[in-house]
Amino acid sequence: MIKRVEVNYRGIFQKSLGKYLGSDIVMIASRMGKVAFSNGRYSDSPERNGIPCKYFAFVAEDLSEEELEAECGAKLDIDEADVSVVVDDTMVKGVEPWGWHGVRPINEKVHEKGCLLVITRHQPEDLLKFIAKKPYPYRLATLEGDASLAGMWVFKDDLTRERVLGAIAAVDPGIISIEAVEAYLLDKTKDARRAGAAREAYEATLRRVRLVKPGEGINWSHPVPVLPKWHEFEDTGIAVPAVPRGFKLGPRGQGRNDRFKRGTTKTHRPVIRFDLCIECTLCWLECPDGCFDPTEDGLYDVNYEVCVGCHKCAEVCPEPECIVMVDELRFENDRSPWEHWVRDPQGYIRWAEEKKGKERVHFPVVTGTGREVREGTYVPPKLSGAETPA
Amino acid sequence: MSTGLPVIKYDKIKGVKNTPHEEFYTSGHRTCQGCESAMVMRQFAKASGPRTIATGSTGCMYVANTSYQTTPWIIPWMHTQLGAGGASAVGMAAGLRALMRKGKLPEEKINVINFSGDLGGGDMGLSGVSGALQSDYDLLIIMYDNESAANTDIQATGLTTYGAQTTFTPPGQKHRIMARRWKKNVAGMLAVGHPTCRYVATASATYPALDFLNKVRKALAIGGPTFIHTFDPCPKGWDFHPRYSHELGELGIKSGIFPLFEVIDGKVIYSYDPRKKGRVPVREYLEKQGRFAHLVDEDVDYIQQMVDKMWEEWEVPGVAPFRGNLNSAQK
Amino acid sequence: MKQTETDTAVLDQRLAAWDRKELLNGCQAVAQGVRLADVDVISAYPIRPYTEVMDALSKLIADGKLDAEYIIADSEHSQFEIVKHASSVGARAFAGSSGTGWMYGFEALVVTATDRLPPLFLVGNRALDDPGAFGVEHNDAMALRDMGWLLCWATTAQEALEHVLIGYRVAEDSRVRMPMALAMDGAFLTHSQHMVQVPTEEAVARFLPRYDLGPRRLHPDNPISIAPQVNEDWVMELRRQNWEAARRAKGVIVQAYQEFNEIFGERYATPFFSEFMTDDAETVLIGVGAVAMPARTAVRRLREQGRKVGYIGLRWFRPFPTEELRECLSRFRAVGVLDRNFAHGSPDCGGIVLHDVRSCLYPLASRPAVVNFIGGLGGRDISIADCTRMLEITGKAAERAGDEETVTWIGLRE
Repeated sequence: MIKRVEVNYRGIFQKSLGKYLGSDIVMIASRMGKVAFSNGRYSDSPERNGIPCKYFAFVAEDLSEEELEAECGAKLDIDEADVSVVVDDTMVKGVEPWGWHGVRPINEKVHEKGCLLVITRHQPEDLLKFIAKKPYPYRLATLEGDASLAGMWVFKDDLTRERVLGAIAAVDPGIISIEAVEAYLLDKTKDARRAGAAREAYEATLRRVRLVKPGEGINWSHPVPVLPKWHEFEDTGIAVPAVPRGFKLGPRGQGRNDRFKRGTTKTHRPVIRFDLCIECTLCWLECPDGCFDPTEDGLYDVNYEVCVGCHKCAEVCPEPECIVMVDELRFENDRSPWEHWVRDPQGYIRWAEEKKGKERVHFPVVTGTGREVREGTYVPPKLSGAETPA
Repeated sequence: MSTGLPVIKYDKIKGVKNTPHEEFYTSGHRTCQGCESAMVMRQFAKASGPRTIATGSTGCMYVANTSYQTTPWIIPWMHTQLGAGGASAVGMAAGLRALMRKGKLPEEKINVINFSGDLGGGDMGLSGVSGALQSDYDLLIIMYDNESAANTDIQATGLTTYGAQTTFTPPGQKHRIMARRWKKNVAGMLAVGHPTCRYVATASATYPALDFLNKVRKALAIGGPTFIHTFDPCPKGWDFHPRYSHELGELGIKSGIFPLFEVIDGKVIYSYDPRKKGRVPVREYLEKQGRFAHLVDEDVDYIQQMVDKMWEEWEVPGVAPFRGNLNSAQK
Repeated sequence: MKQTETDTAVLDQRLAAWDRKELLNGCQAVAQGVRLADVDVISAYPIRPYTEVMDALSKLIADGKLDAEYIIADSEHSQFEIVKHASSVGARAFAGSSGTGWMYGFEALVVTATDRLPPLFLVGNRALDDPGAFGVEHNDAMALRDMGWLLCWATTAQEALEHVLIGYRVAEDSRVRMPMALAMDGAFLTHSQHMVQVPTEEAVARFLPRYDLGPRRLHPDNPISIAPQVNEDWVMELRRQNWEAARRAKGVIVQAYQEFNEIFGERYATPFFSEFMTDDAETVLIGVGAVAMPARTAVRRLREQGRKVGYIGLRWFRPFPTEELRECLSRFRAVGVLDRNFAHGSPDCGGIVLHDVRSCLYPLASRPAVVNFIGGLGGRDISIADCTRMLEITGKAAERAGDEETVTWIGLRE
């Protein structure tokens, strides 16, 4: 029997984490006398910061290495997973790694009785508000923690790696046992703290596995694109039509690539206090993804479908609290915030402040060197009669 | 165009509020969060407008942009090979000129632009870029420089900063620094070597504001073969959080490690002269990038010395490393 | 054939299709073809022996006889890329090279095919280095054989000129859109001068329509993105589309020769290969390029002795005329394949043409015996006597004694 583990991770930010987890599973399973190997999903490479990616590990007890490789190796993606690990919980909103792939549910590959294991500080019920329903029961396990984001060269050694190994042992000991995880970590690092972190996560996870019933979750609205047959696109074979030219002021006024929106890249989205905006243009001017839409009243709406959450607008905005990056899981839809603002300025400010909350996530310049949560400052509404739309 | 939308003129954009709204490189590409090279794409397309055709050499701005049979381009765009940036621009410009002269296409100015990365434009394709700059065609070559082969997950190129970690230059127990080459000065060498080329510039997509937009317009307005080398902080390969890509660019320029200049008909103009307000120590720029995390003080000092020499000892600071005291000799 | 009045009118028209006779070498004949095709963009880089076509073209431009952009490139890679991109904006474009120069630009050649662009290139065949050698060898052009190109050899300077026109016509056809390599034996054909008939511009205009890339033209009025990145989800389908274009090319080639004959006279009896004295032949030699002259002469002389021999000149190597050649060769008892190239380490250590011919014959229930000759490498001449010897060896193979060598080197000092 083959056990398949996929690690869903954020490109570059968690590239090392994904690969380490895959490698660790192979090493641990091998020490347990099993046959195992690991690889990344090739189409994810070259990775880009934030784009959802996958790393796989395959473990078998009763197959030769060649058979295991034949079953699992020569494939772009897996058909089903015993454990789908999600090392950044905002990916539960769906993943769109490249064009013509579609936004796929995070639990797409979890088979019946398999497990979706998410690192999160949210409750399972909150996650299920975003996760597609399945026709069969499966398990949802949560491991308390933040998404461990790092960079190409500076890895964030915050014990996430060890904790995930412990959690995998908890949800499916048929892959790796907690004893083997501990022994491996001890042998490798001579650091009891690491084995302890795995054990602690193992025990915590055992208490946080929830059965998801058939039909529990949401109706998935994103279609999976149908790839054309060779003779169905000969006219556009090597050349595809450009994005049609088009611009007008207002939400969605700019023509955009509708075959690949890639909004699932973001972990945070900018929430804008339009009343604080000084119309400096910088959020719009500096957005590498062109996701801001100029409006007729001199403001800049943001199109959350195409925003990738880079935080740059929040950084270049000169007005404190005008643009704040907020956890992507606090939002259910991608509707235009500017339209909300125009319709109901007071209500919009209340909504924005509620979404922002008090906590402001702060990333250091070198991503892997830390992350802290600071307290935001509330700025009272600046609404004058003339500036307030009717 | 049948859309009836305005055709963009090449006037200088005065003030950020006068930046044209319409995009010709739009959302829906697979670049990294906070990608400054994507900013270069967005800005050049915005500045040049709808009567433009462009080629992109192999590199991030090829592979990431046209993600698997989709496109973010509104202007016509075509892939060209890694070292073919210059040739692709010459080919398009020559084709258009011949067709218009022979009455096979209506006469009009169509902007011909190629963008190549530092590996494509500065290493492999340098000879082709030089060939293009010797020609008499109207074309613009933009070398977007993120200081690595970023598309193959960060390998050193001839434009990688001394000391930087890449997968070809990993710090090790015997050798702390594997990237021992000093960054190639492509814009300077092209300006020096092509006296009939009327416009060579370096630029940054976001600092100072509108710097690059207006340089693209200036290049297109001056005409003939032109070249712009952009300085693109890369959150992926330089290892900083995408939030700070503007800041890294600004620091690179204020520290003087990347000089911003234009050479117009042989006249050198500094777009931002870091000497005026005092150069920010290079350390402030280096320490904000994971790729320099392994450097020790002596490495930083060496880089600082090299930058100091560039500004204090070069006959034409930032452009040409000659130290013949030519100016004083003439006096 | 009985002639009707209409036929006479057609004949008159055909006579009017020819302008004058000029003394031209192969390169200069190609230059005349390029002039008549009203090519828009030419890119040059020097390497023997193809260079002379660029010498001739620059002079035609200097004298005002051809209106084209002429770009001296910095390398073959740039040269081919210039032509590729000129083609992408709708300009008829021309380049060429030889030997290692051809290989230097090979990356650009590969993508010209996958970009489905139809410029025409002259390959003045030359041996590949090292050691440096100027003489003919077909390995340079043959390297294209799996790259999605149209690849065709001219036998004479006259054919070379005509195949510039036929080449553009086929390559640019909207059903095809593939780049065209016109190969020509270095030295023997590129550099020897012959009296060549030059067609009139009017006749050429009737044969060769204007180049129109249609919806694939890169122009602000036709916004497209050409060659966006693809992954595993797309490559097979795109390759299949390339294959389909090559399949359709065969029909377009047949049609092109028919119309060429209608306009210029019965120049070509068969499109893909020429047959010489094969009607009742038992033994034939098949070869590529200028070796046709000594080979046909040898055949003629052996026929005078009553020997049933013939010669087949393979003109189009890509697309390979599989069915046509299979049917043709099935009539003979033995086939000798002459390769002016060498496929290092391939089956039987033979030549490239051998492998394709043998593979083409494999489905036949009753196959002729096939032997291979490697000859004329690096510009070594292949004489009439060599051809006679090859026909004799092939004839013996027909007896299938079992002791015949599959591959024989001809003209080797041994």
